[in-house]
Amino acid sequence: MFKPASGEPGNFLLQLEDVSRTYQMGLMEVKALSHVTLNVVRGEFIVILGPSGSGKTTLLNLIGGIDSPSSGKITVDGIEITALDEKGLTFYRRHHIGFVFQFFNLIPTLTAKENVEFAAELVEKRRDVLEVLELVGLQERASHYPSELSGGEQQRVAIARAMVKDPPILLCDELTGELDFETGKHILAAMRRINEVNHKTVLLVTHNTAIGDIAHRVIRIRSGEIVEVRENPSPADPQELRW
Amino acid sequence: MNKLQRKVVRDLAASKGLFLAVIMVIFLGVALFGASFIAYQNLRSSYDYTYERLRFADFTVKVVEAPTETVEELESIPGIEAVTGRMNVDIALGLPGEETRGVLARVISLPSDSRPAVNDVKVEEGSYFQEGEGNVLLVEKSFAEHHELKPEDTVFLTVDDQEISFRIAGIITSPEYIWPAKSRQEILASPETFGVVFVPQDTVSGLVGKPFINEFCFLIDEGADRDSIIAEVVGTLAPYEVMDVVTQEEQPSNAALEMDLEQFGEMARVFPLLFLIVGALATYILLSRIVHNQRAQIGLMRAVGYSRRQVLVHYQIFALVIGIIGAISGAIAGYFLSEALTNFYIGLLGLPFTRIETQWLAMGEGVLIGLLPCIIAGILPAYSASRLRPAEAMRTPPPATGRKILLERLFPFFTRLSSLWKIPLRNIFRNRRRSLYTVIGVTFGVSLILVSGGMIDSIYALLDVHFDKIQTYDAQVTFAQPQSTALVSEVKGWEGVEESEPILQVPTRLEHEDRVYSTLVIGLSPDSELYGLYSTGGDQVTVSEEGILLSEGLRKTLDIHVGETINVRSLPAVSQLEVVGFVKQTMGSFGYVTLHQAQSIAGDQDVISGILLNVEPQHADTIREKAYQIPATASVELTSETRKELDEMLDYAVSMLWIMLGFGAALALAIVFTTVTVNILERRREIATMRTLGESKTRIAAMATIENLLLGLAGLIPGIILGYALALYFFSLLQTDVFSFDLVIFSRTYVLTAGLVILIMLISQLPGIRQVNRLNLSQVIKEQVT
Ligand SMILES: Nc1ncnc2c1ncn2[C@@H]1O[C@H](COP(=O)(O)OP(=O)(O)OP(=O)(O)O)[C@@H](O)[C@H]1O
Ligand SMILES: [Mg+2]
Repeated sequence: MFKPASGEPGNFLLQLEDVSRTYQMGLMEVKALSHVTLNVVRGEFIVILGPSGSGKTTLLNLIGGIDSPSSGKITVDGIEITALDEKGLTFYRRHHIGFVFQFFNLIPTLTAKENVEFAAELVEKRRDVLEVLELVGLQERASHYPSELSGGEQQRVAIARAMVKDPPILLCDELTGELDFETGKHILAAMRRINEVNHKTVLLVTHNTAIGDIAHRVIRIRSGEIVEVRENPSPADPQELRW
Repeated sequence: MNKLQRKVVRDLAASKGLFLAVIMVIFLGVALFGASFIAYQNLRSSYDYTYERLRFADFTVKVVEAPTETVEELESIPGIEAVTGRMNVDIALGLPGEETRGVLARVISLPSDSRPAVNDVKVEEGSYFQEGEGNVLLVEKSFAEHHELKPEDTVFLTVDDQEISFRIAGIITSPEYIWPAKSRQEILASPETFGVVFVPQDTVSGLVGKPFINEFCFLIDEGADRDSIIAEVVGTLAPYEVMDVVTQEEQPSNAALEMDLEQFGEMARVFPLLFLIVGALATYILLSRIVHNQRAQIGLMRAVGYSRRQVLVHYQIFALVIGIIGAISGAIAGYFLSEALTNFYIGLLGLPFTRIETQWLAMGEGVLIGLLPCIIAGILPAYSASRLRPAEAMRTPPPATGRKILLERLFPFFTRLSSLWKIPLRNIFRNRRRSLYTVIGVTFGVSLILVSGGMIDSIYALLDVHFDKIQTYDAQVTFAQPQSTALVSEVKGWEGVEESEPILQVPTRLEHEDRVYSTLVIGLSPDSELYGLYSTGGDQVTVSEEGILLSEGLRKTLDIHVGETINVRSLPAVSQLEVVGFVKQTMGSFGYVTLHQAQSIAGDQDVISGILLNVEPQHADTIREKAYQIPATASVELTSETRKELDEMLDYAVSMLWIMLGFGAALALAIVFTTVTVNILERRREIATMRTLGESKTRIAAMATIENLLLGLAGLIPGIILGYALALYFFSLLQTDVFSFDLVIFSRTYVLTAGLVILIMLISQLPGIRQVNRLNLSQVIKEQVT
């Protein structure tokens, strides 16, 4: 089995240093994340667990460069993304990040295939659209509009869209939330393959504690703070999962 | 096609009704601009060309009487290119088969065997004079057409009580009578009672006994200083008593055409502008709602790596598509419309020469002015789209709060309203911006219809004022030469005459400081009942020995105020009169004095120039015949006939206004449709949810209707205010010394406009309601997560 590089500072792909994110809601301050420090090694498969509202999506958004921290520093591949301007951020999002959003966010006026191409067209080096659709088991539904797809199918389009750009980092929010057990396992296996074969770094948010077994590391957050980091010396095969 | 472009196409198709509505506004605006502006240019260049070909005078000087040799003397003045000296007299004209009808003919002399150097004519039918022809004349075309006169027909001129027969040699058009105005005061002269004929110089000399000149027409060298030449000419002609100097701009026909053309040009600018403002507004509303509704998609675009610029361009393209389609199709339609409009106008005026060129520049301008507002209107929404923060934009908006609206908190009884009323009310206040757009749509719709409606009303009101308040006489007899006052009581004795009053019209020049205005001073009896005078405040006033009353328009023209003194220069004398007031006027600008004062201005003779009559309708015709038997009678005008003619003439202006009103209504439809449809479609999810909860389609339609009606009512008042202000503005453009319009909007017009807009609104919402009611509920609910 593929092992990520060792946790020495030079090998860190992703570094969060004392990152906080607060939202101003009128007079109230919502601390979505507070003082999070986290280092991720290239090729790592990380599962993030936490109850609703604990800050998981916020964390992914910050890493994905679509939100910026109130304080702290985030470095990806030696680039301090918290210091980037809009142009730099756009480039970063385009080339480094594949995002599967919690609410899929498909373009309703584009078909499944077109939704994937919508992202693919942004990069030169991309994967074959049909191949990616096949990977998520959607080749048959390629020409359907989102409103003609089930929730799980929509989610799989979103996964295909994230993978097609062939980015070094995949951020998956509630990857399997809408999927049945079999499809879920199938998708997780695909993720693992991408992680192992293509050496992609994967951060996967879920409510499902069982999924933690397939990760190299499991991170638990509660109320915006990391409360537990657990190393998994021998990650399980997704096929062995039970939930 | 990349996927971003495909998204544009699909989004356009998804809301094609809305886009088409906005495109239609731009289309109409550009088409209107193209049609009127190109027609304006065509007319302008056709006028110029006609004037050039027929050597239309740069200025004309009227004198009492000058010998023919004066022409050579004037020709030697430097800067003068050509001079024509001629006779210009008004003579009673008899027409074949209409012996009882008198017509006043303006008889103008032309060289017997050659063409005049200035103010030439174009022979449309028949031929110019040939030598040794005897009594021949040329008849101006519009007059000839009205009376169906042909070459070889015979007409009669009455000179010294003798009817002399003339053969018509030809039908002509003249640069001085393209618009056959009798004078600047009588711009709407009826061909029924007024016509222009041209007679050989020798013949006129024979008629009046000796050759003389009372009018000189001048062409000056290009670039020469007209004012100084005029001064020199006036100096040279001083011994012959200069009566009037008329520049090309003041020449009645040209002034009328110019005024008409300028109003046309102004409309060509202002009216399309209105459309384009509305078009820009509609584009803005449509785009900002699209951006609002696509927040999540925009967030996604940014999150997967589309740049700010790509997002900006993406949304700007929607505006561009509206602009390009609307502007180009509008320019093409405008071009064809302009042809029709130009031909219509040219035919109406019977222009002798036309010069029509393809106005590429004007068409280009049309495209540009259609495109620009769209692009500008698109910038703001597109920019705000590009500035959305991706994470925030993608968060599904929190469900609408069940919070009570202010209204409910202030007036607790609202809480007790049924949901049929409560939901629409809450919707209105919860999304204030969207509600505001609908209100704005209605505001513009109302004002656009009201503007044209108000103008139509005002024209009819003008006629009412003129005929019911000012010109209250039934008939007016006008004499070619002054007659004794005794005639008034003689005529009063005729059968069927109820009332008769004297009138004396004296041609004068009104002078105040350096301002001069040539017009008639009208003498009336102080207790006149047949000629109504009203102060600017609306009270009835009468002429008095204390001074002169002036038409309202002269206040500005002469820059004069009540209490100041004015010089009234007439042929025999100069009198000084105090201005005692200003009176309302409909057509023309005059001075009003007592009959006695008028007689002293005219040289202290006990004379009148006409008689005003009230007659019993059944006797009108016999009275007219009797009046024509008075030898000096030039014309007998029956008010009922004048009114009918004027109605016909104005029908044309009114039909233009109806067309404008049609455009206004189309525009109202487009903007109201856009805002109303946006309002309904935006709530598809909400409506779908309501339906899954068990609301019936009928109740949903009722709620939408209530909401729209409330918003529509809110738009009525600002719409009326805006429409009134716009109408006032248009009217300020129409005020001249020739026409004085008061803006009048009948209350029924307000009601009809409001009713029409509400109707438009109710119809506009139908497609939207139908669409949401047809929705596949499960699909819409699914969209919620997409
Ligand atoms: N834009 C925002 N404005 C205000 N509060 C926000 C905003 N985004 C997130 N929050 C708040 O921050 C906290 C963390 O939100 P986040 O979306 O990260 O939670 P989560 O762990 O992803 O929850 P879930 O499992 O339900 O998706 C929540 O309390 C949320 O209400
Ligand atoms: Mg979340």
